[in-house]
Amino acid sequence: MTTRRLATLAAGFALLATLAAPPARAQETVLRVAMTAGDIPLTAGIPDQGFEGWRFVGYNLYDALVSWDLSRGDVAADIKPGLAERWEIDPNNNRRWLFHIRRGVKFHDGSPLTAADIVWNFHRFTLESAPQFNARQFAFARAYLGNYESIEQVDEFTVAITTKQPDSLLPYNMSFLMMVSPRRSAEVNNDADAFARNPSGTGPYRFSRMVPGERLELVRNAEYWDEARRPRHDRLVLLPMPEASTRTAALLSGQVDWIEAPAPDAIPRLRSSRMQIVTAPYPHNWSYQLNFVDGPFSDVRVRRAANHALNRADFRELLGGVAIESFATLPPSTPYYGNPVRYEYDPARARALLREAGCLPCRVTLAISTSGSGQMQPLPMNELVKAQMEAAGFQVTLQTMDWNALLQMGREGRERHQGVNGINISRSLQDPFNGMFRFVWSRQAAPAGSNWGHYRSPEMDALIDRALSTFDPAARLAILRQVHEKMSEDAVMLWVVHDLNPRAMSPRVRGFVQAQSWFQDLTPITIAPR
Amino acid sequence: MSSAVSATPTDPTEMALPRQRGYWGTVGYRLRYDYITLFFLAVLVLIILSAVFAPWLAPFDPYRESIIRRLKPLGYMDQYWLGTDELGRDMLSRLLYGGRITLTMGIVPVIIATLVGGMLGIVAGFAGGVVNMVIMRVMDVFYAFPSVLLAVAISGAMGGGAVNGMIALSLVFIPPLCRVAETATTQVRNLDFVDAARATGAPLRKVLWHHVIGNVLGPILIYASSLVSVAIILASGLSFLGLGVKPPDPDWGLMLNALRQSIYVSPLVCAMPGIAILITSISMNLVSDGLRAAMDVRA
Amino acid sequence: MFGYVIRRLIAAIPIALGVSMVCFALVFLAPGDPVQTLLPPDADAETVARLKALYGLDRPIVVQYFDWLWRVAGGDFGRSIANGRPVIEEIQRSLGNTVLLAGLSVLIAFSIAFVLGVIAGRKSGTWLDRLVTGVAVLGVSIPNYWLAIVLVIIFSVEMMILPSSGTAGDTFDPTSWDHIRYLILPVITLSMIPVGIIARTTRSAVSEVMNQEFVVTLRANGLPEWRVLKHAIKNALPPVLAVMGLQFGTLMGGSILVETVYAWPGSGYLLSKAILTRDVPVLQGTILVLAMIFVVTNLAVDLFQSTLDPRIRRG
Repeated sequence: MTTRRLATLAAGFALLATLAAPPARAQETVLRVAMTAGDIPLTAGIPDQGFEGWRFVGYNLYDALVSWDLSRGDVAADIKPGLAERWEIDPNNNRRWLFHIRRGVKFHDGSPLTAADIVWNFHRFTLESAPQFNARQFAFARAYLGNYESIEQVDEFTVAITTKQPDSLLPYNMSFLMMVSPRRSAEVNNDADAFARNPSGTGPYRFSRMVPGERLELVRNAEYWDEARRPRHDRLVLLPMPEASTRTAALLSGQVDWIEAPAPDAIPRLRSSRMQIVTAPYPHNWSYQLNFVDGPFSDVRVRRAANHALNRADFRELLGGVAIESFATLPPSTPYYGNPVRYEYDPARARALLREAGCLPCRVTLAISTSGSGQMQPLPMNELVKAQMEAAGFQVTLQTMDWNALLQMGREGRERHQGVNGINISRSLQDPFNGMFRFVWSRQAAPAGSNWGHYRSPEMDALIDRALSTFDPAARLAILRQVHEKMSEDAVMLWVVHDLNPRAMSPRVRGFVQAQSWFQDLTPITIAPR
Repeated sequence: MSSAVSATPTDPTEMALPRQRGYWGTVGYRLRYDYITLFFLAVLVLIILSAVFAPWLAPFDPYRESIIRRLKPLGYMDQYWLGTDELGRDMLSRLLYGGRITLTMGIVPVIIATLVGGMLGIVAGFAGGVVNMVIMRVMDVFYAFPSVLLAVAISGAMGGGAVNGMIALSLVFIPPLCRVAETATTQVRNLDFVDAARATGAPLRKVLWHHVIGNVLGPILIYASSLVSVAIILASGLSFLGLGVKPPDPDWGLMLNALRQSIYVSPLVCAMPGIAILITSISMNLVSDGLRAAMDVRA
Repeated sequence: MFGYVIRRLIAAIPIALGVSMVCFALVFLAPGDPVQTLLPPDADAETVARLKALYGLDRPIVVQYFDWLWRVAGGDFGRSIANGRPVIEEIQRSLGNTVLLAGLSVLIAFSIAFVLGVIAGRKSGTWLDRLVTGVAVLGVSIPNYWLAIVLVIIFSVEMMILPSSGTAGDTFDPTSWDHIRYLILPVITLSMIPVGIIARTTRSAVSEVMNQEFVVTLRANGLPEWRVLKHAIKNALPPVLAVMGLQFGTLMGGSILVETVYAWPGSGYLLSKAILTRDVPVLQGTILVLAMIFVVTNLAVDLFQSTLDPRIRRG
């Protein structure tokens, strides 16, 4: 009881200190970031607004059991210990994982982190009867807890998580589940909205203030447990600006220091104002998932023909160079890229394949959206796809719809959309499950999962099962490579480009290393004086 | 019989006109010396003709794209007089075809609203009583929304698209047109001569036709013409917000939005759709003003 | 007069009910699931169904309407699906920003356009009149979202003297230049249409007075010009003030496009974001409140006018 009261008192003092601090100390260094989101990502734990929410709010206010190593730009980012300093599979039970919680970690409200807090957080995501259960957190967490069965506290610093099936990739899923402070939650009677206005996590930044819909301000957490990642600037201001030209204008007029995803056409103008443009490949592809049951794409020759029909260099040109050509599901810097078949631009070959398949001209309908997260520039790009495919013997109908309508179509699966032969939804591919398995695993056939077109291959299913029950990383890597290569061999998608994720920043921003990831580490950034 | 009645001095609209030319003669006479209106009428006719004959006038297919010649400046290769857009499509061709879509988006809703709203208003005004109350109260409900709000809300709710946009705009314009028609009809109906005509046993249809329609049409048409430019700006605004015409169809508002991203590469080309909307709506407004003055209608 | 006010107020009740019905129905015209944006793109159908049930969106529409109406009558607009915050708070905050923007725009438009209109009305038929009429037509003809883009390029990007979007992020402080800076471009843009309309109204009201027979006679007899002007302004003011009031109501609901281009955190921007994310409670609440403001301003203008001139009473 006394410790709790002390913690509250400490939190109160901390709050007072923030309030008492003059709003703009002369030496305070501020990094102002314009996000592409339309609103401030949720601050109450697992964020919304897609991976941008994790990038700027989730991983800054909070930590998960598992973190991403974002310190290097030369390799694809992989996971590393987070709130759990290590983990292993139970030697007696390949469905039971043991996570050892880091000691000495404190929440922003001053209370220490223990295994009980981890269990409490898992109940917040999953246990409808728990007082802290939160419907929105449940909705966000579900995508990562598909294989989760239960959690138990082993001792003060160990938890055990049991899965329904053996799951060697579980640690990846753990990296998305943000751990919030049960003490702060109790103070606000587990009201998620009240918690969001005064959140408490363990992350490298503390919450400072928020103008809903307009700005979120975070300040550096000087006591962050990972000393290497204590922020090198004092304040981080996050501004939602969904319109690309608005972001560009904001950077050029000096309103912000950093913008996400400038329009490619604005990049030369930004460069001429001495702005830095950084790009790096990351696990993203701009592709079409195909219908393997109805229509021409059920024939692998037609799928290969489509892949041969595209001159991907033109797409780079269209995107002002901020994309790389995509010949397979994952970008080549991925560890399990392997040595996939390369479908070079060859319209004659495409036409020959179509003739062989008895589909010339080959009529296909592709469902596309007018906008959407990760969709890059969907309209011009789809127009170009259509033009190039038609030059190689296809006849393409583009079915244009709202982003949400397309997502719904993606969710419902091919059964309810048999007239559609492909859907253009860009997906995040940050781990083997999300990057590969869910598209080609028969258990993931929509509407149960993301295998929209109902690709079914016993061979592929066997590979996936083997990968999931192989706990030795090196052995697993070999299997993952085979999965990726087989996806290419079977031409399971129509691949177009990988985004290079451009961002632009003012010359005053120093020390940023762009990781090959959807997430980025802002903590090493310093702001040069004006 | 009824013609004799209409010549009675109680009819105010007839009184105001010099008798020897007749109403439309006077309107024409006034217009002939209104050079500003005539000039902008000519511009408007030119715009409409160029939209109608776009398939014959456009030098290129407005959908044909080429990544190599994207965002080229005005006069590129002496072929692309107004340059090319973000997909390398000929800007002039797209503006011409865009005129078709944009003008349709502006004019069709006004026509629909004029027919529906005008009819409802005349019925309400002529019938009076409960019918009037029901019609006008329903209109009041839609009148309670600012026009931009209503257009965006309806179009947004229905998921955008050219047809939904036109439905939304029609719904926006029905209430004001209905009100104009109702006011004019009620005024005419309450004039003694209409009662007199009915008392003499003239068929209802004839009374309606000669007095009500004849005197109500002017204000309605003038008001409708003033709405066209509002409709064009609103329709382009909807497309600009992504709630109107869908790509790749050329619509001025949509082109404006798409080219926004490329404004630093080719500012003049990107300004074109905005200029097209501006010129059209200025012409439309001035012509409507001129007509109003010539027809001596205060609506 | 009092009886008239009461009658008008009572007449507004069925309108308000009708408006609430339209607001509610609008949102259900839409395709797609309202809870969709809440979910990760890969969420499965079962999660969608469970979440809909959690938000009560699986009940019959009539039940949902009366439930909503009952709560709205008590001031509870529900919570935003997109961010979980109470809708009433979202509306209050954004409404303040829009009132600021629309109010300033109308005031500035009035102060410019009234002067222009008086000048033009006095000298009707001269080149000055033509010029003013031209400005007025330009004001109502220019697509303001396009003007907004042009102004940002000139004043923010090239000259770097004014911010391109947003606000200073605190409660508005009229003494702080840093706060006022953010208002300049949106106010200029939004005042274009009212400038056109007010200038026109003023011009015709003034010129009407000037052409009245007794005014012409008095002027011919050497009545000082300022007294003529005073008379003209006194006559022109009521209709112009009425138009100004109506314009304020229109701008409150009509600033959607301008607010979107400037990312101005007002009710219009809130609405356009809610449309994109299909945030049903926010959509319903915002549209309802904006429509009600419009009804109330129109009513106020009506009452104001009928106080001055009982002949124009309606209903």
